[in-house]
Amino acid sequence: MFGSVEELQKKLAACDYLTDRHVATIVYLALKLQKPLLVEGPAGVGKTELAKVLAQATNSRLIRLQCYEGLDEAKALYEWNYQKQLLRLHVAQTQSKDWEEAKQDIFTPEFLLRRPLLEALSSEEPVVLLIDEVDKSDEEFESFLLEILSDYQVTIPELGTVRSNHIPVVVLTSNSSREFGDALKRRCIHLYLDYPTFERELDIIHLKIPGIKDCLAQQIVSFVQVLRKQRLKKAPSIAETIDWARSIMTLGSKVIDEEIVQGTLSILLKYQSDIDKVYNKVSSLLPEK
Amino acid sequence: MEEKILEFGRLLRKGGLNVSFSQIADALRATAEVGFQFEDFYHALACTMICEKADKPLFDKMFRLFFLTLPASQHGRENGESQLVSTENTGHIIELARSAEGIGQGRGGGASPALLLVKAVQDGNYSLLNQLAQLAFKSLGNPKRKDLANLEQLIVQAKVSIGWYEAVNRLERIREKEKVNESTYSRWLECLNYLEDRIKELLEEYFVITFGQDALEEIASAANLREKEFYQLNNIEIDEIRKRITKLARKLASKYARRYRRAKHGEIDMRRTVRNALKTGGTPVCLRYRKKKLSKPEIVLLCDVSGSVAVFSEFMLQLVYTIQNRFRSVRSFLFVDRIEEVTNYFHNEDIEAALQEAFSKANFSYSGFSDFGKVFTIFATKYLNSISPKSTLIILGDARNNWRSDERDFLKQISEHVRKVLWFNPQPQSAWDTEDSIMKVYAPYCRQVFECRNLAQLGEVIEAIL
Ligand SMILES: Nc1ncnc2c1ncn2[C@@H]1O[C@H](COP(=O)(O)OP(=O)(O)OP(=O)(O)O)[C@@H](O)[C@H]1O
Ligand SMILES: [Mg+2]
Repeated sequence: MFGSVEELQKKLAACDYLTDRHVATIVYLALKLQKPLLVEGPAGVGKTELAKVLAQATNSRLIRLQCYEGLDEAKALYEWNYQKQLLRLHVAQTQSKDWEEAKQDIFTPEFLLRRPLLEALSSEEPVVLLIDEVDKSDEEFESFLLEILSDYQVTIPELGTVRSNHIPVVVLTSNSSREFGDALKRRCIHLYLDYPTFERELDIIHLKIPGIKDCLAQQIVSFVQVLRKQRLKKAPSIAETIDWARSIMTLGSKVIDEEIVQGTLSILLKYQSDIDKVYNKVSSLLPEK
Repeated sequence: MEEKILEFGRLLRKGGLNVSFSQIADALRATAEVGFQFEDFYHALACTMICEKADKPLFDKMFRLFFLTLPASQHGRENGESQLVSTENTGHIIELARSAEGIGQGRGGGASPALLLVKAVQDGNYSLLNQLAQLAFKSLGNPKRKDLANLEQLIVQAKVSIGWYEAVNRLERIREKEKVNESTYSRWLECLNYLEDRIKELLEEYFVITFGQDALEEIASAANLREKEFYQLNNIEIDEIRKRITKLARKLASKYARRYRRAKHGEIDMRRTVRNALKTGGTPVCLRYRKKKLSKPEIVLLCDVSGSVAVFSEFMLQLVYTIQNRFRSVRSFLFVDRIEEVTNYFHNEDIEAALQEAFSKANFSYSGFSDFGKVFTIFATKYLNSISPKSTLIILGDARNNWRSDERDFLKQISEHVRKVLWFNPQPQSAWDTEDSIMKVYAPYCRQVFECRNLAQLGEVIEAIL
């Protein structure tokens, strides 16, 4: 797929995803070893985005399974379309077919509702399967995932075994809101995505907001970087830096000062308690002129 | 190289990382893909062998010692000397050392290391901090192989040699006088932590270079927090264990939650299923389940908080209160030679604050020496009436009674009142019933007595009460 780490890194950059060599190395290894990639890290550092961009860079279809508490096989893998089956049974009754015949009718692909996992396993074209926020699902589901990720096949009792033609690229993301099992973790290649360095974030800002003056961008990024070092409930993410930079551009300011920052702080910080904490010491956190 | 990686995996396991065979196989494949260029090699191993972010520091340390320091050790022995101190720094250090000698003769002459240290911290001058670390390390001369067992002590010695405590004192005073703000102060602390870590690193490197593989293995086992005896923990390790207990608690909580959820789907309730099926023309489209009752245990904790047992009791309280909604009720008592209930402190959310408050306010010590007999007497007469007969009563303590009267009848009375008594003893089983330990006197009244010396065992015993 990719000949080298550099090639992958360039491809990602071409899809507007700027990243460090070591991140590219780890993603490269996951692809080469054909193992699921488990991406962990704080909110908004680009975990989901990485999977999306990877699909783009590998010309694959992105199939996304969003996890939540209570997610089960029926929602993740497949389900029989009961309503439709009942209707068909009703019709069959009036035609006085026996049960064996009727059964032949209703457990066919026509009545199968494909959910993301089955979709990914049975796809003809290459796919990137994004299992987003696995830590939100519960343990039962986790062990079920483990099964799927072990042999990339499922058996549907009425239809037989579905096996994927090519092992899909699997990306799992987690915010570590819950500890999940070691078995699943062991099966994966680990990528810990952290907040970007100053230089990297500056590059991202320039990439996403083409018109921005370098000096303003620098001020913005260094303020955000300082802010992340404070003890906050939720530190600003890359997405928030971008939003904030955009609004400051819209305001037409060329530099940031205390007043501007205080007026726009709610774009960066989502919790009122964080805003209160920072509000009065903004000037001491601003980069020196 | 393959062998090296296998060996490295073994070393990590010794250090307490659960590296499985399949992970090592992946590591081998990964390094084959990216080659041995240093950075890539490191990341190839890390992304296949580390499961949690919390394991990274240990991984990094072992990686450094195993792949960088250990090879240098063979080299060093051939050349007959260690290559620890990089040559570029040596000149400067000798100079520093000279001024360090000045300190003994009073503070007048030259910059004492303590003053240098204060300055380095204030300026955030990491290269100077580095040199101070070297200086501190040098002051120890050539520690012997057996000194490795007392690494912590060596570090303290090294710190003293560069006037660490004096410097910290000065910094505190400056902080007060000049009203140093929080972010500056936290930068200072970062510097101090860095210096301490560097000294430790230098020492570990020294041991690995001088004594090779064998020393490295000892360093790995010493780093294994899960197996480390509670009474040997230093402050940093205590903090780390606190974090791990939070994690352990979350793990237990979600495990238990799953059981509970399953239980909600108990057996199929035929009667309700059929009645419900009438709506759908007699076809049972929706199955109805009977709810299953899940019994939640009631817990009473009696925690010995004398001396070295206090840390253990604190961990246990933290763990139990983090998962307290897994219990029907939790009551807790602290004791040394008096006993007092502290349940009420734990009504607020912040467990750490509650612990502090309980430890500082409760009245549990009269002489400072444990007296289990007295404690059981008080408990049986004062509290037992109010204890639910359904509860599981857990005693945390080392059963070292300071030769006092054991009052076993009161423990007997207690054990007849409650559902069961469990005893968690933080001392190694080999030490029970030696000197003033009277575990075997009390054991007959306990359903079970567990040895609970380290995190690994704490995890096991807590499962026993869930
Ligand atoms: N390396 C990057 N290069 C360019 N843009 C990036 C990069 N990383 C993140 N972004 C931007 O940050 C936004 C947020 O990223 P994303 O939604 O993937 O975060 P996340 O880690 O999945 O967060 P959450 O944990 O909240 O789901 C993306 O839409 C993208 O615009
Ligand atoms: Mg996301």
